[in-house]
Amino acid sequence: MRYRLLNLFLFVLWYGNAQFALTDIGGAVLQENGLDRQPEFFNMPWEYGTKLVKKETSMFIEVDSIGKQNIGLLVDQRERPILYVSDIETPVCADGDCKLMNIRLYWTLLGDYAGFDRDSKLPLTKNDHDEFSMADYLKLHLLLTDANSILKQRKIDELIEKPKPSEGNGPDALSGATIKEVKETVVSGALYSCYVAWHLVHGQLNAKLREYTSSQVTDETVFQMLHSANSNYQMFALGRFDEANYKEHYARIANIFETGIPMVRGFICKNLPEKFWKTPKLQNLFWNAFADVDINTRSLLLEHLNSASTETLERISTHLGVMTKNQLKIFLEQIGENGLVEPIRKNLVVFANDEKQTYGYIVNQFLEEYEL
Amino acid sequence: MNRIVISIFTFFLVNIVGAQDILLEAESFDNPGGWVVDPQFVEQMGSPYLMAHGMGETVQNATTQVSFEKSGQYHIWVRTMNWAPGEWDAPGRFNLKVDDTMLEKALGLRSGWGWEYVGETKIGKNKSAHIELVDLTGFNGRCDAIYFSTSDKEPPSSAKKLAEWRKTVTAESNAPEEIKNYDLVIVGGGIAGCAAAIASAEQGLKIALVHDRPLLGGNASSEIRVHTEGIYGNFERILRMLDTEHYPNGHVEAEIDQEKRDKNVKSYENIDLFLNWRAYDAKAENNTIQYVDARHTSDGKRIRFTAPRFVDSTGDGWIGFWAGAEFSYGRESVDTYDEAWEKHGELWSPKEADNAVMGSSVLWGSKEMETDQDFSEVPWAMPVAKSYKEVKGEWQWEFSRNDLNQIEDAEEIRDHMLRAIYGSFSNAKKEPENAKRKLEWVSYLVGKRESRRLVGDHIFTFKDAVNEIKFPDAVVVEKRAIDVHYQTVLEDENNPDFISEALFYKGIQYYIPYRSLYSKNISNLFMAGRNFSCSHIGLGGPRVMRTTGQMGAAVGFAASLCEKYDVDPRDIYTGYLPEYLELIESQKYRKIPESKK
Ligand SMILES: Cc1cc2nc3c(=O)[nH]c(=O)nc-3n(C[C@H](O)[C@H](O)[C@H](O)COP(=O)(O)OP(=O)(O)OC[C@H]3O[C@@H](n4cnc5c(N)ncnc54)[C@H](O)[C@@H]3O)c2cc1C
Repeated sequence: MRYRLLNLFLFVLWYGNAQFALTDIGGAVLQENGLDRQPEFFNMPWEYGTKLVKKETSMFIEVDSIGKQNIGLLVDQRERPILYVSDIETPVCADGDCKLMNIRLYWTLLGDYAGFDRDSKLPLTKNDHDEFSMADYLKLHLLLTDANSILKQRKIDELIEKPKPSEGNGPDALSGATIKEVKETVVSGALYSCYVAWHLVHGQLNAKLREYTSSQVTDETVFQMLHSANSNYQMFALGRFDEANYKEHYARIANIFETGIPMVRGFICKNLPEKFWKTPKLQNLFWNAFADVDINTRSLLLEHLNSASTETLERISTHLGVMTKNQLKIFLEQIGENGLVEPIRKNLVVFANDEKQTYGYIVNQFLEEYEL
Repeated sequence: MNRIVISIFTFFLVNIVGAQDILLEAESFDNPGGWVVDPQFVEQMGSPYLMAHGMGETVQNATTQVSFEKSGQYHIWVRTMNWAPGEWDAPGRFNLKVDDTMLEKALGLRSGWGWEYVGETKIGKNKSAHIELVDLTGFNGRCDAIYFSTSDKEPPSSAKKLAEWRKTVTAESNAPEEIKNYDLVIVGGGIAGCAAAIASAEQGLKIALVHDRPLLGGNASSEIRVHTEGIYGNFERILRMLDTEHYPNGHVEAEIDQEKRDKNVKSYENIDLFLNWRAYDAKAENNTIQYVDARHTSDGKRIRFTAPRFVDSTGDGWIGFWAGAEFSYGRESVDTYDEAWEKHGELWSPKEADNAVMGSSVLWGSKEMETDQDFSEVPWAMPVAKSYKEVKGEWQWEFSRNDLNQIEDAEEIRDHMLRAIYGSFSNAKKEPENAKRKLEWVSYLVGKRESRRLVGDHIFTFKDAVNEIKFPDAVVVEKRAIDVHYQTVLEDENNPDFISEALFYKGIQYYIPYRSLYSKNISNLFMAGRNFSCSHIGLGGPRVMRTTGQMGAAVGFAASLCEKYDVDPRDIYTGYLPEYLELIESQKYRKIPESKK
């Protein structure tokens, strides 16, 4: 996780700098009914010239003592849904002292956090009423981006004191968290604002937004999602695909298989229609990625080894070094069953004799037994 | 006593040669010194072994005395493995010393378990030798056995041939000679097994509790140090004797609870504790288990346990597995039991079934010392740790990958975690602020979360929990959130592959029926603990140890009724449920006997 956060942090820093060049600190005044510039803190791609129009939805967030805050849907000029948005005003109370927090939040079509805009007239403030600095806003963005933040499972009072043993609700996954780790992730002096913002962004609403999208999504949006770099979008699209869709979009799917995250690759591998495994031409793009995909995906590919052509097996036999011990065993078992052809045998011998190969001995054993 | 076996081999070669040989099992050394006995992977690599788990500091020599039948010139082999092979010096190197001679050959170099030839030695007229294992690195060198032979024929390496060879060399009969009979045999002394033992012992049953470690508690023991989560349900009185305080996982306070637990279990006269005994087989006839065979983890003695009924609380469902009980492993497809949770989609429950499971952990920690502390370079750890830096490990240090089975590949999983730990610590040590840090504790036991789940009459699922179904035979109750883990590398390839994340589902209260606590097809087998009958997601909540403890206690009381009426576990549900539930209710208020006050 630390990795992810660090990368993100660097990205945000870079991004933040780019922003400074475009707008003055203080940000543009938010438009009431739409958006024609990228939100100031934002995780999604934004094409230059995009203009989004806000449409009301029936959804809202209920905020303590203030009431309902509507959720809008931002659509592009072709009426395609792009983002959800809400202008939030909510009280933040610390030690009996309450103040209002104003922030405009954005979510993706699947209810994930997409970004926020600050209100230039009503900046966020800390306990001591100091305004947030740009670094503070960036830290908030970073925090909101982490859907698994340490704030997730905690009640606010558990963040201030050392967590007490809680009967029944302390999951396997809580024990190590310390206040120090909380401090590292929240804006200093603004724990309450951060906490409230995080839970607004990641609360009950996510599921509702996703449902709303699911209930009205068009094929066009689904295809758009497939072409997005957002892995949740890709998963959403793939999850709705039937055999015909898989065939129609197979080039893009193969491309995601190569470049996507392991979870999406795994999904593709497990859900490719049978037809793919019966048609060498359709399979090839996937086998081509064999040496480059992650270990989990490679295992899933190997489950289809019995559908692979001799040429594919031959190609794989030049990549024995990328396989784990168990993967190598699966491969050897299959070529043992198929009958060992000369080009593959040659590659095995080279591998078995290469002292640098940790699992050379396994191939050696295989060759010995095979030749017996 | 040494487990040394002398046999005479006759090889029908061109000229007939009579060879003297001795197989010396490392785990039976008179004095293991700083080496630890590791019996975790017997089923895969063949035997408990000695390991130099020094966290980077060489451990004291393991020593033993060997007697030979004949003097003469002997060839020596050591069965060992390089646990992190690659382009660096093997991390776990060691030497063998025979009497005063250190044999030159460094050992622990080969990939995969097998024999390494050490050299020759002369056994003199006294027909005895003093043997020492000399650790060279402090990084988990391992020695399974030492073989002396006047012949130069290397013993077999492949698992199957080796097992046969071992039997021949040790002239071991098929069945253990000693047979012990009990009312109930419980295998696995985690919290579940201990609770089952106490509950059934309180009802007057004569119990054997067979556990492969010196300390009780499984993952909650001070050897693994996971604290117990969950509620007490109906069994507060019993579970308080066994559970832990809520300290961070890996905390040294586990030792205080360890003492409490051991003392409590030992206070029952009708529990015969077999500590350091590992079950290795169970035999069923007509779907009824006849016996369980177990072996002492260091002296190699064997016992056959017979009983009308058995409890599998091994976590890995070993007894069920050997006896032919139905079991499952991996994730069901989302539709199998209707376990979807939109929010987390595929990470929660997949569209297509697969063999992913929650991973295993090795907990560890370090401490600040008064002076600067060195830590060796660990190049062999870096391909795993990469640039990750840490000075302690919590529950998130977890490893699961779909090409690895949590049982069959447990040694590789443990070793992967050791590389992650030593590498991350080494990276952290490069920071000036950690100059005084020293590794304090690294477990060598792999703490598991999920492997085989034995199938019962009811398979407990996420839906049962979400719908809070109050089964007529609800004996276990839990409020703790359901959490299921996944490896973060699935979301980003740049993440370390040994760190996990948890997905939580918070419900209110859910129940587990008694029917999930006995086998569907093995008539006299109960199960308690994480190997109870559930789906992958179903395990997400109740795998924690107060809940597994509740299962154990529930099983213990059921077993006492089985004994009373001479019936099978299933019959308690069909014929004696009211009495069973009443027994559970009444035991809550059991008076503490004067002697225990
Ligand atoms: C890092 C980590 C963190 C966790 N966090 C928590 C937490 O905070 N709270 C919580 O309650 N739970 C937690 N869990 C989950 C919990 O510890 C496990 O699910 C636990 O295994 C459940 O207990 P058990 O009694 O079923 O099994 P175990 O504790 O695994 O006990 C089974 C015992 O049987 C022994 N055994 C196995 N085979 C044999 C054999 N053939 N012969 C003899 N003995 C045998 C084993 O050595 C073992 O000690 C965590 C797990 C891990 C790994």
